Amino acid sequence: MKQPEGKQEFFSSRWSLIIATIGIAVGTGNIWRFSRVVAQNGGGSFLIPWVIFLLIWSVPLIIAEFAIGKSSRLGPIGAISKTAGKQFAWMGAFIVLVSTAIMFYYSVVTGWCLRYFISAVSGNLFNTTDHLAYWNEFSGSFQPVIFHFISMFLVALVIYRGITKGIEKVTKFLVPSLLIILLILFFRAITLPNAMEGIKYFFTPDLKIILDYKVWLNALTQNAWDTGAGWGLILTYAIYMRKKEDISLNAALIGFGNNSVSLIAGITIFSTVFALSSVDAMSQVTQSGPANTGLTFIYLPLLFSKISSSNVINIFFASIFFLALFFAAITSLISMVELATRTLIDFGMARRRAIAIVASLGFLLGVPSALDMNIFLNQDWVWGVGLILSGAFISFSIIKYGVDKFRKEIINGYGSDVKIGKWYNYVISLLIPFQVVVLILWWLISSVSWDPQWWNPFHSENAGTCIVQWAVVIVIFVLLNKKMTNRIFSGDI
Amino acid sequence: MNPESILTLIIVAGTVWGGLIYFIIRAMKYEKEKVKIGEEQS
Repeated sequence: MKQPEGKQEFFSSRWSLIIATIGIAVGTGNIWRFSRVVAQNGGGSFLIPWVIFLLIWSVPLIIAEFAIGKSSRLGPIGAISKTAGKQFAWMGAFIVLVSTAIMFYYSVVTGWCLRYFISAVSGNLFNTTDHLAYWNEFSGSFQPVIFHFISMFLVALVIYRGITKGIEKVTKFLVPSLLIILLILFFRAITLPNAMEGIKYFFTPDLKIILDYKVWLNALTQNAWDTGAGWGLILTYAIYMRKKEDISLNAALIGFGNNSVSLIAGITIFSTVFALSSVDAMSQVTQSGPANTGLTFIYLPLLFSKISSSNVINIFFASIFFLALFFAAITSLISMVELATRTLIDFGMARRRAIAIVASLGFLLGVPSALDMNIFLNQDWVWGVGLILSGAFISFSIIKYGVDKFRKEIINGYGSDVKIGKWYNYVISLLIPFQVVVLILWWLISSVSWDPQWWNPFHSENAGTCIVQWAVVIVIFVLLNKKMTNRIFSGDI
Repeated sequence: MNPESILTLIIVAGTVWGGLIYFIIRAMKYEKEKVKIGEEQS
């Protein structure tokens, strides 16, 4: 196999790996999407299936990614080829493409968070009472492009410094800082008057709603999108885990850590909204707004202005909230850029050159999403649902390898602290494929109800645009399959 | 809070936060053992 440059780098300790991987999992979705989805799905009724899917979707797939990355020491294309066979390299390429396509517009989201942090610190955010107009003015201007560029540039600098000096060092600062900020916000929120009403709603189950299949599908979707399981990102970081490193326990820590952060964020937002909202609190939490940003960029700034009579205190809390969002976004963005960079390195490119190409293309291909919300929504929809397919490909590659063999030789192999039992075989070979089929069909069929022209590939959010875009990239990757594997394994004996 | 809410809170927060704390403690234990074995070998 090609070894393009230097020695293989590793995360220096178990905790460095865990912190960096939690940085992947914890993103803006934990903060803004989770609260909205909980509110839309009956509060406590949603939380029970959400915990169940943590156990039967997120943790098993995180274990799979860690194991594939650690054993193959290659990015998704090479890793899937080694696990499932070279004829399936195109599946790895699809995983890379989905996460890279998300990277293009996620850098734009990271830029929004940075811009709102700056606006909060400077006090500009509170110079207006019409936050919808403020958001529209910002998102309709050229500013998102500038902040998208800054985000991509900052991330490229981190990746340029490598694993230990770059990713490890930066995430060791950002992830604990994010947790500290969230805890400060959490304790402030739950001590606000009337906060208990929000907590009560958050944990109150409705037995009628809990039997609704849509609640279960939304809970599965939240786990699929939120934990980073099946994206190929954890697989990429696992390339840099030491041989003596455990897989199962680390994977459980990531899954439970991610959902713990979601719970903290959810309680914080529900407490704040119920304590400070002068109108119907629920309607504000459930508002998705443009690009699902309604709650975060339009309603929360309004609520932050009411935390106290002191403007300085309001500015402080708004600033640290948007700083937390920015930290959550940038730690996830780092992993997306690393995944694309690692893929080029596997093709034999030097790291520096690979970063320059990924960052430049990442910036250029993100510009349309920064300028046009319809393109943003289209990409978010197509590749968001595509992620579920990525999870299916990871599961497929293990089935092809032999689930029992995979579990015994790789997951429970050298370095494992905890041995995984036979239950894992059933989850990977039956439950994950079943969940994938149900989830993809549900999303595509649902899109028929909101778009009568569901087949039209030029509409932003429907079945047609998904199927056409997926089909185009899959056909291209199948045609390039042999070239890709030849390139990656050209030095192999 | 009514009994159902308290029960949901205990199940959800207990599983998620309790699980996290449990796994952290186990990881710390195994990590200590690995360091000890490494020191003995060197």
